[in-house]
Amino acid sequence: MVKIKLLLVVIVLLAGLLRFWQLGAIPPSLTWDEVAWGYNAYSIGIDGRDEFGRYLPLDYLESFGDYKPPVYAYLDVVPVKIFGLTEFATRFPSALLGTLTVLVTYFLVQRLFVQSTRKKWYSLAAALFLAVSPWHIMLSRAAFEANVALFFIVCGGWLYLSFIENKKVLLLLLSVLSFIVSVYTFNSARVVAPLLVLVLIASSWRMLWHMKKTTIFVFLFGIILLLPFVHFFLSPQSKLRYNEVNIFSDVSLVKEANQQIANDKNAWWSKILHNRRLVYSVAYMQHYFDNLSPSFLFIQGDGNPKFSTRDVGQLYLWDIPFLVIGLLFLARKKIGYWWLVPVWILLAIVPAAVARETPHALRTENMLPMWQVIAGVGFIESIVFLKKYRKIFVGISLVFLFLSVLYFQHGYYAHYSREFSGEWQDGYKQALLYAKQNENSYQHIVITSALGRPYIYTLFYNKIAPRDFRSTSIVNRDAFGFVDVVRVGKYEFPTKITEMKNTLYIATPQEVPQHAQILQTFPLVNGQPALVAYTL
Amino acid sequence: MKSQISNLKSQITNILFLVVVLIVIAAGLRLWEVGQVPPSPDWDEAALGYNAYSLLHTGRDEYGQFLPVVLRSFDDYKPALYSYLIIPFLFLFGLSIQAVRMPSIFFGITTVVVVFLLAEHLFNNKKLSFLIALLLAISPWHIQFSRIGFESNVGLAFNIFGIFFFLKGLKKPYLLFLSVFSFCASIYVYQSEKVFSPLMLFMLIVIFHKQLFQVSKKHLITAILLGILFILPMGLYLITNPNALARAKGVSVFSDNSQIASTTLRIGVDMKNHDYLGYVVDNRRLVFVKDIAANYLSHYDLKWLFITGDVSRHHAPFMGLLYFWELPFLIAGIYYFIFSKYDKKTKLLILGWFLLAPLPASVTTGVPHAVRTLNFLPTWQIFIAFGLFGFYKFMEQKNKWLQYGFIACVSIAAIFNFAYFVDQYFVQQNYYNSLDWQYGYEQAVSYVSSLGAKEVVVTNQPPLDQSYIFFLFYLKYDPFLYQSQTKDVSGGFREDHVFGRYVFRPIEWNIEKKNSQTIYVGRPEDFPSNIHVLKTIFYLDGKPAIEIVRGE
Repeated sequence: MVKIKLLLVVIVLLAGLLRFWQLGAIPPSLTWDEVAWGYNAYSIGIDGRDEFGRYLPLDYLESFGDYKPPVYAYLDVVPVKIFGLTEFATRFPSALLGTLTVLVTYFLVQRLFVQSTRKKWYSLAAALFLAVSPWHIMLSRAAFEANVALFFIVCGGWLYLSFIENKKVLLLLLSVLSFIVSVYTFNSARVVAPLLVLVLIASSWRMLWHMKKTTIFVFLFGIILLLPFVHFFLSPQSKLRYNEVNIFSDVSLVKEANQQIANDKNAWWSKILHNRRLVYSVAYMQHYFDNLSPSFLFIQGDGNPKFSTRDVGQLYLWDIPFLVIGLLFLARKKIGYWWLVPVWILLAIVPAAVARETPHALRTENMLPMWQVIAGVGFIESIVFLKKYRKIFVGISLVFLFLSVLYFQHGYYAHYSREFSGEWQDGYKQALLYAKQNENSYQHIVITSALGRPYIYTLFYNKIAPRDFRSTSIVNRDAFGFVDVVRVGKYEFPTKITEMKNTLYIATPQEVPQHAQILQTFPLVNGQPALVAYTL
Repeated sequence: MKSQISNLKSQITNILFLVVVLIVIAAGLRLWEVGQVPPSPDWDEAALGYNAYSLLHTGRDEYGQFLPVVLRSFDDYKPALYSYLIIPFLFLFGLSIQAVRMPSIFFGITTVVVVFLLAEHLFNNKKLSFLIALLLAISPWHIQFSRIGFESNVGLAFNIFGIFFFLKGLKKPYLLFLSVFSFCASIYVYQSEKVFSPLMLFMLIVIFHKQLFQVSKKHLITAILLGILFILPMGLYLITNPNALARAKGVSVFSDNSQIASTTLRIGVDMKNHDYLGYVVDNRRLVFVKDIAANYLSHYDLKWLFITGDVSRHHAPFMGLLYFWELPFLIAGIYYFIFSKYDKKTKLLILGWFLLAPLPASVTTGVPHAVRTLNFLPTWQIFIAFGLFGFYKFMEQKNKWLQYGFIACVSIAAIFNFAYFVDQYFVQQNYYNSLDWQYGYEQAVSYVSSLGAKEVVVTNQPPLDQSYIFFLFYLKYDPFLYQSQTKDVSGGFREDHVFGRYVFRPIEWNIEKKNSQTIYVGRPEDFPSNIHVLKTIFYLDGKPAIEIVRGE
């Protein structure tokens, strides 16, 4: 018993180490979404209002017009208070809750396989595999609200299963609360959390029926907590982001179907075969399967380098045999809530598959930690099966796991920043610190919009007081809901740079006119210039 | 005794009846509109056809090689057996697309029957075996390649024959000779089999070594000697013609240099930082290992299998290689199969087969690849059939109505999906893929030969590359004449070429001499837009394919 607890502590510490080590320095810089979290937390910490002055928003942060679910900003208030407005503070909630997800996974797995004599070992293995998972490490090391939502969903699942065991109403309340917080944290969770709750309710409806009063009470509790969200959900703004990314607005599919009906000489049966609902269902399944593609899972991971180093998959190749063994074992022995494991994975892909960019590690992060649970069961069962060679097997397989982790981590610390700093909007920080130092010598400071959303970096790195921002800025909102800040104090962010006197310009090398007087260049980690400061 | 005999008789008639049903279904789907769908031979089919024609009349291939074991063709060194198999059909159909496709169709139909017998041998369950063979008979993957002159399909047939005769040969040793013959034959048909067939045979020997060593020594030694004898010509050819491996090298991952730049950069950084760990993990060889793993796994991608397929000649448009309705039964089937009552050896054989099939393709680029992994068949169908049986049995335990409902739902889904496939294959394919099937030469050649010009210049630029082979094919050009005109030179890969009055080279309109005795056959973009075009040939979706112009 003591041994298991000790191992758990070691695993959680390892998880913390892999998530917190050089957190402020790698990834090399902050993306605009991260900066927006940090600054909104800063703003809420000062006067309880978001950057644009909404008081304690519960439904959304307007941000760039993407209407972010607000929880991450609230979680980041205290870290920003303690550590200041820094990269480390911005990423702190994700790294911390990422570490804690490893711990909660241990508890969740115990509940999943509550009748099994080996449940403690399954739990330890799953926790260990999550601790070293490239998928979870990458998403815990940046301010990704998806990672925080995952924490709450795992908590929700664990608390609900505990409630089924112990029948304590408090656990049920906490579970509902967890799931609801996840809904206020990340868009994908708005689909995954309700689906999971439905599945959990369906599996225990008899019990809920027996305690009708409590059920109704908890149900009402949940509804009340969801009211702010529902109000926002019914507004047109909530659809903006969805309309931007969904596959059902792609008319080329319908055109293709019409061509095929024409090829069939408009026969009645052809209109059934090439029905547009069917065509879109197939497109949906195509995007769904993308998220299960071997290349995504095991070889190079998400195509977006922010979510993957491209050296390893979202999982390790090492996991494959244990996933196969684990799945077969679970399906064969049917212990406890074994069915919840594959169902959880399948449900987690549901929202991501309506989007055009698939596979998507962030939107499908809710598949975690179930891959690790399967691999954990497979690993432990392999040990049990190989009675005689147990020690050799554990030794060899852990050595290979270690080598996999080493390979991933080496690429991450030795090469990742250099290869992908451009993806992290590197250059803004250095440029803005330079601008701040020299701002008194110029009348205007013009910063290019070419790298995207320069205003939020200006607010963040110059620590402009929210009050000043709200009173000195010019903000445009277009018909699609996008928010464009064109001026903050003497800082201007035009879409096209015009030539003015007594002005400090910060722009990409391509935008610098020939007669400019170059003051300083701000390179990416690989040495390529990202931004240039100049005057005319 | 008497009843036993009549019992046996009825069993045989029973099996015969099932075989006839299978043949009718398989043949119907493979012979319907043969030669019209897909709409024309691709260059490989044309090459196999013309070389067969050349072999029949001269005993030599287009390069003048006497009775070759390998056809140099477009420097891709095709194993030659398929061309020999075309020869009998030349008597029936002449040099035509039907003749080229018939060997594959014949072996495709035979494969369905042998798979039935093989399944019956392995599982001893007529319903199950019939279902497996039926699923293969209607399989989009198998139909795709058994309606066209692709060697891979015959390679698959020989491998399945090899496995079947091996298993039967454990009881009747003389059948081992047939097994050895089949495995060797497959190596003479298709490239990938050089990897797959030996591994398959090795696996069979390992799994069944106990029974195999009970077979009399005499038979075993004869089989081994026969194997050596059969393999000798190919072995000698490979040793004496290092070029023959050119194709294998060309498509292998080891010649893929796309990642060298990034690994070199990484090693440079590692050296600067004295990062000794980096020397190891950023090594180029590690990239190859990862590539092979990636290629191997790419064949277990559900999107490839069920929705998109790979290049358009390898699947019906907007469809994958398996039916969508089969997916749940495939997954359940793997489970039911692994935990079925059959003995360990049977399970090892099928699972090993399933895992071995993508191996040859995983050392090549351009994966996933439906042709190089055709040896997957019929393992998918075996799993799907087990899945269907497993579900059915499961419902049986619950209640009757559930069972009827299950049958009804699956039948509707399967029929709908089958109808969709038939439409995609027989109607939509020609419209969408006629370019990929290099459509248009038949009309071009007959029109050009009606003009009687002194010189005919034909482009050899994509998508009309290897155009010379289509002229040989459709002109039925005299192979004696061809060999004497070209003096052991032939197509090569995108090389310029001449025979008789036909010249194959890029057309550069501005510098052409344009004498009125010269006819130009090119792509629309080879000619200025204001030129007088004698004839335009269109792809089946209405886009222009080939333009024929007189030099004026």
